[in-house]
Amino acid sequence: MTHQEAYLYFAGVDIGSTMTKVVLMDKAGNLLSFIKGPTGAEHRQLANEVMRQALEQARLQIDDISYIVATGYGRLNVPFADRQITELSCHARGVSSLFPDARTAIDIGGQDAKCMKIQDGRLVSFVMNDKCAAGSGRFLEVTAATLAIKLEDMGDISLKATEKIQISNLCTIFAQQEVVALLSRGEKLENILAGLHDALASRVATLARRLGIERDLVLTGGVAKNIGMVKAMKESLGCEVLVPEEPLLTGALGAAILAKETYMKAVRAGEALPTKSRRLEKATFFSQE
Amino acid sequence: MYPLRAKVNETYLKSIEAIKAGKPAVWAMLNFYYGDPILKAMDVEVVYPENYGAIAAAMGVARQYLDRADAEGFPTHLCGYSLTTLGYASRMMKELKGQIPPEAPLGGMPKPLFLMSSAAICDARYKWFQALGRYMDVPVWPLEAPIPGIKEFFIEGYYDKMVKLGVKHLRDFVAFVEKMVGKKMDWDRLDKTANLMIEVNRVWHEVNELRKARPCPMHSRDFWSAMPAALFLAGDLEDSLRLYQDMYREVKDRVNNHVGAIPDEKYRMVFAELPPWHSLAFFDKLAERGWNFVIESFGYHPPIPLDLSKVSDPLERITKFSLQFLVGYFEDARKQNVLGGTSAYPYLKYVKEWKCDGALLHPLITCRSASTHLPYVSDMLIEKLNVPSLSIEGDIVDLRLFNPEDALAKAEPFEETMEHYKRMRKQAGFDW
Amino acid sequence: MSDKNKGLDKAREIYLDSSRRAKELKAADKKIIGYPCVYVPVEMLTALDLVPYRTCADMKEPVTEADRALPHSFCPVMRNCLDCALKGKNDFLDGMVAIHSCDPQEKTARIWESYTHYPYFHFIDMPITVRPEALEYFKGQLNDFRKTLEAFTGKKLSADKLEAAIKSHNQQRALVRELYELTKPSPPHVSGTEIVQVVKALTSLPVAEGNNLLTDTIGEVKRRAAGPEKKSARLLIWSSTLNDTNIMQVLEAKANVVMNESCGGVRAYRGEVKLTADRLEGLADYYLNEITCARTFRQATLGETRKDYARDLQSRFGYLKGAIKDWKINGVVMLLVRYCDPFAFEMPSLKDYLNSIGVPSTYIEYDYTTGALAPMRTRVEAFIETISQ
Repeated sequence: MTHQEAYLYFAGVDIGSTMTKVVLMDKAGNLLSFIKGPTGAEHRQLANEVMRQALEQARLQIDDISYIVATGYGRLNVPFADRQITELSCHARGVSSLFPDARTAIDIGGQDAKCMKIQDGRLVSFVMNDKCAAGSGRFLEVTAATLAIKLEDMGDISLKATEKIQISNLCTIFAQQEVVALLSRGEKLENILAGLHDALASRVATLARRLGIERDLVLTGGVAKNIGMVKAMKESLGCEVLVPEEPLLTGALGAAILAKETYMKAVRAGEALPTKSRRLEKATFFSQE
Repeated sequence: MYPLRAKVNETYLKSIEAIKAGKPAVWAMLNFYYGDPILKAMDVEVVYPENYGAIAAAMGVARQYLDRADAEGFPTHLCGYSLTTLGYASRMMKELKGQIPPEAPLGGMPKPLFLMSSAAICDARYKWFQALGRYMDVPVWPLEAPIPGIKEFFIEGYYDKMVKLGVKHLRDFVAFVEKMVGKKMDWDRLDKTANLMIEVNRVWHEVNELRKARPCPMHSRDFWSAMPAALFLAGDLEDSLRLYQDMYREVKDRVNNHVGAIPDEKYRMVFAELPPWHSLAFFDKLAERGWNFVIESFGYHPPIPLDLSKVSDPLERITKFSLQFLVGYFEDARKQNVLGGTSAYPYLKYVKEWKCDGALLHPLITCRSASTHLPYVSDMLIEKLNVPSLSIEGDIVDLRLFNPEDALAKAEPFEETMEHYKRMRKQAGFDW
Repeated sequence: MSDKNKGLDKAREIYLDSSRRAKELKAADKKIIGYPCVYVPVEMLTALDLVPYRTCADMKEPVTEADRALPHSFCPVMRNCLDCALKGKNDFLDGMVAIHSCDPQEKTARIWESYTHYPYFHFIDMPITVRPEALEYFKGQLNDFRKTLEAFTGKKLSADKLEAAIKSHNQQRALVRELYELTKPSPPHVSGTEIVQVVKALTSLPVAEGNNLLTDTIGEVKRRAAGPEKKSARLLIWSSTLNDTNIMQVLEAKANVVMNESCGGVRAYRGEVKLTADRLEGLADYYLNEITCARTFRQATLGETRKDYARDLQSRFGYLKGAIKDWKINGVVMLLVRYCDPFAFEMPSLKDYLNSIGVPSTYIEYDYTTGALAPMRTRVEAFIETISQ
């Protein structure tokens, strides 16, 4: 590695519907910073804020970054990104870098669920559900609100279940009515929660079966932090489920790796690579490049 | 009423035994009196995956087949019966190498000799049997089923051309079945079968005409129990004929003695289209409120009788009888200028002649054929006859979608609506 | 309509206001006959000097009026079409011809007829198989269609008039195929979006005007200095209908769509109507056999007593193989409108076929609303990412 190459930095920006994540990495693949913040309604404005924090943590300037890839639902709203790649490819790449034997990746986010097939470290096929809240993290969020318990406590409580109650309603809204009815009938909270986790897990497992489930299987996304969900997924899928230490990281991580690979490929081929202006500013509808 | 139901069950069990003993079976679809007489005359065991779908749903085993079909890449909006069958076929052929799945209720469905689908009333049906080719290397015969325009039907020569298509097609189908089964058609037997089929349905039609009486002597539940023998030609047709004749006598007796199907008939109801097979007890609750279901499900009703005694060719008799199911209503529909679909006009006739106070509509989320005409029917009934409709959603296999408590909660306010429209009809000069 | 606009500009102009020419012609005493499906033999309309006009849906129009007549779980394209009709957008039509291609077409036709009051309405029945008796029946249907047309126009549909019309429409087919030849190069000289506009224009104009538009367009495309930008993926889109530039633009953001296998693309323009002694025979044969819509039941051998899955797939989808090879297509998008049953059942079989010839494919379902575009974009882009490595 030349001394110039030693100081190459890359960024991955993952703007999800719920959380925005930024990863900065160097050419050796070392993670220099990882910042996440809630996306909110104003995500167009937020990407640069989260990037600023990431740069600060890594003690870098925006001009130091050689190549930036944006991904996620809001990837078109990052004016300083050089390239947009779908979250499907980025998650596949990110998961693969953390778990080299991964063949299937499942990401359950706030508003959708994605299943990805991986071969040689890359995405080869995928299937998504972004139509129905009952197949995403939203399902659990709404229930937490209905029951006035913390979302982060739901998983632990569900593990205490002594029996599993079947939630018959397909729809998030109707499921809430059912949950309240069950509680008033005297059913235990932990059993109801176990049933809810099961319902979500089985929906996602059905989605995954369209692709075929192949080990190693990795679960990511906010929902992967829920220990009750991990257990429910294991049961629904019928196989071991691996979870990264930081389940929200993989999209931005994959984006950063793909930024590095895109850049280095161009450098080795002696090709010019168009990049965007490194102005950290809000995206507006009128910004032209 | 129940002897007919018992008979259908008995036939079904006999069929399972025969199949277990190695008799070849054919998977068929509801074909409105067209292909069934051929199969019957050839003494082939017939399995109806559409019915099996309902059984699997009622017994709670449909879910695994639906999930399997989903995993195979079939979009989820498709007919629940088709997804159940596709998932079942995948499990039987791919996973179990042709063995009937052990969890399949009532003996399951064996790999058939061939598939007989029908284009009648629904695209999904013939595409579904085509899709089964993925799992089973058996040939498909899709029966043609013309759908005429109501006005166009009256163009000179139109009907004759429909008959010509039907007869030629059926003749070719007979040749196909002969090849597959390995024996020749017994034309005398076919002649007899066709006649019996027509007569059974004629008597059955008369039974339903008796339901116009006040109070109505027979409820929709009894109709649904009794209709398979006439619609699917289940069992021995001579036995069926006797049973329907018995039924006629019993119902006539009730009419003469003013015996209603329920104790206190307050509201005469029409039901469209496919019943919630798994929740028929729901009607008992409505009966307690005085809701008598006097007519229903046009799709299951026998054709308006037609004199075919002078038609010598049994294939022509069968074709004309089958076409009669739709076109029997066309003359009236044209006179009334009700053009909105072949499944819609009959409800206008039903409500008028059976004097209904309200319609209970049951749209099914994955069965478009049984649901598409319902908004139009609702519109037509209120506009032309001042009769209101209540819509309760469900599905053919996803039984969670039908909520009986919810439906019953709507009953009381709907009764007020029906009372209101009774008054409106009186003012407008209607006689009910 | 601007007289200066020709070729692609004209197509674009017509695309944005497709009924304008029809209304001009109506003001000049021509009769305009609407049709919702490409299975309607428009040659018979042209032959009687009627102007065929393809009624279409508008994805951006929120459906409101159709709710009283059609449930939600129903083909959203036809629902939208009916909605437009109920809102009076097709009131300039003198008549309509509907056909039993698929259930939604058949069911919507009746309701359309009930709720509108065009001077002329005819429903053509069409069989599902291509057996000889089915073809015979379909020919009979076309003959009955001829009768009501003659009664409406007061003119006879002579063999000569029909021959002239058939030749004109065949010429249109040949010209569309010639236009598609121009998507063979890399990059293609004309984009999928531009062709969507051209095809929409063709179905909004009398055949002779459409042929002129095509001739101008082909010349313009051949001469143009700059066509579409080269992208790594060359796609074939397989769908029931695809005649909306919003959708095509999403598909073409990172790919060149070189073949639109739908009734908004090449489907109605393959092959040609044979000139048979009984003109209606050639027409019946063409429409039933040549239009590759999933509603028609095809099998490897008519009345076969054995089923060979590979042969079955070949008989249903084999026509794609040549196109994929000649247009150097490296990916197929199987695009399904939600609630479309015939195409939905085809999906796994089509995928099997494409796998057997080594062509990557992806399945995308959408509900024909503008909200479907962003998820569609993600899926198409992810697919392109998988085939571009």
